[in-house]
Amino acid sequence: MQMLPAGQENKDTEVSWVDQQKINAFSKLNTRMSNLEDEYEAQKQEKEYLDDVTMEMELIDEERVQYKIGDAFLYLPQPEVLERLEQDIVNIDTAIEETESKILLVNNEMDDLKKYLYAKFGDSINLER
Amino acid sequence: MSSIKESEANYVNPRGIPQAPFVEKVEDYVQSRDQVESILKSFQDMLQKYKFMEMSTLRREAGLKEKIPDIQKTLDMVKFLDASCNTDGELESITTSYELNDTLYAKAKITPRDTVYLWLGANVMLEYTNEEAIDLLSSKLKSAKDSLESCKEDLEFLRENITTVEVNTARVYNWDVQKRKEDREAAELK
Repeated sequence: MQMLPAGQENKDTEVSWVDQQKINAFSKLNTRMSNLEDEYEAQKQEKEYLDDVTMEMELIDEERVQYKIGDAFLYLPQPEVLERLEQDIVNIDTAIEETESKILLVNNEMDDLKKYLYAKFGDSINLER
Repeated sequence: MSSIKESEANYVNPRGIPQAPFVEKVEDYVQSRDQVESILKSFQDMLQKYKFMEMSTLRREAGLKEKIPDIQKTLDMVKFLDASCNTDGELESITTSYELNDTLYAKAKITPRDTVYLWLGANVMLEYTNEEAIDLLSSKLKSAKDSLESCKEDLEFLRENITTVEVNTARVYNWDVQKRKEDREAAELK
């Protein structure tokens, strides 16, 4: 984010406290957005891993498999591992949904702020990434 | 200095970080051109303080982000042990590959009991009943997550103030440039 480049003529736009707060809010949301995007990517990745491993686990022909809890691997019966994996998938799905709705919310707020700020400051402000 | 909003100037966030003053009208804030330099310098100082706080909060956040999964892992394990000794009266032993050292795993057969030992740090380990251990770890997890939240809040607050100060700087600077130009034009007309 930047204001007028040095030396360029000031186009007489007063920045009021309300404007400043809106600029700040935008900046804050921008950071929050990039954090959320990282989180979302990580969760997607985790979900993919879980899907793959569940697929493998359904095919595997062993009575007991090693399932990691904490830092240790435990020899658990295959059906129990499947059950645990299914629970893991449910958990990650909820987490992904949560992140998605947060992203949507932030996006909407940012769009509103963008409209306001561009209407007020026009070319004097740059809100693109 | 009259144009700083008093109420906002005194605001501090829940962790005591002060809010940056906002320049409403540059011409009120800067009484004479001689002040420009010292004002810009004071903004610079403010900016540096905020950046420093931002850095240390970022470090704290990173530490918490490391700590939370650790607590979570231990909690998961204690819950598992508790569940496997609760299922039936008969204690079934569990076979596990546990980490003997980094990247070195050994096989062990363990019988879950109703107590576990938690490493509290500072070379102290204490025996807890499973239930107590779960309570303790859950509350530790919660407080770690809470402080992570406040870290994030602080970071956003700091970001906001950094933006305010940056905008202040840009506006005072632009105002000065403008005034210089007007002076020059006035001089040329004479």
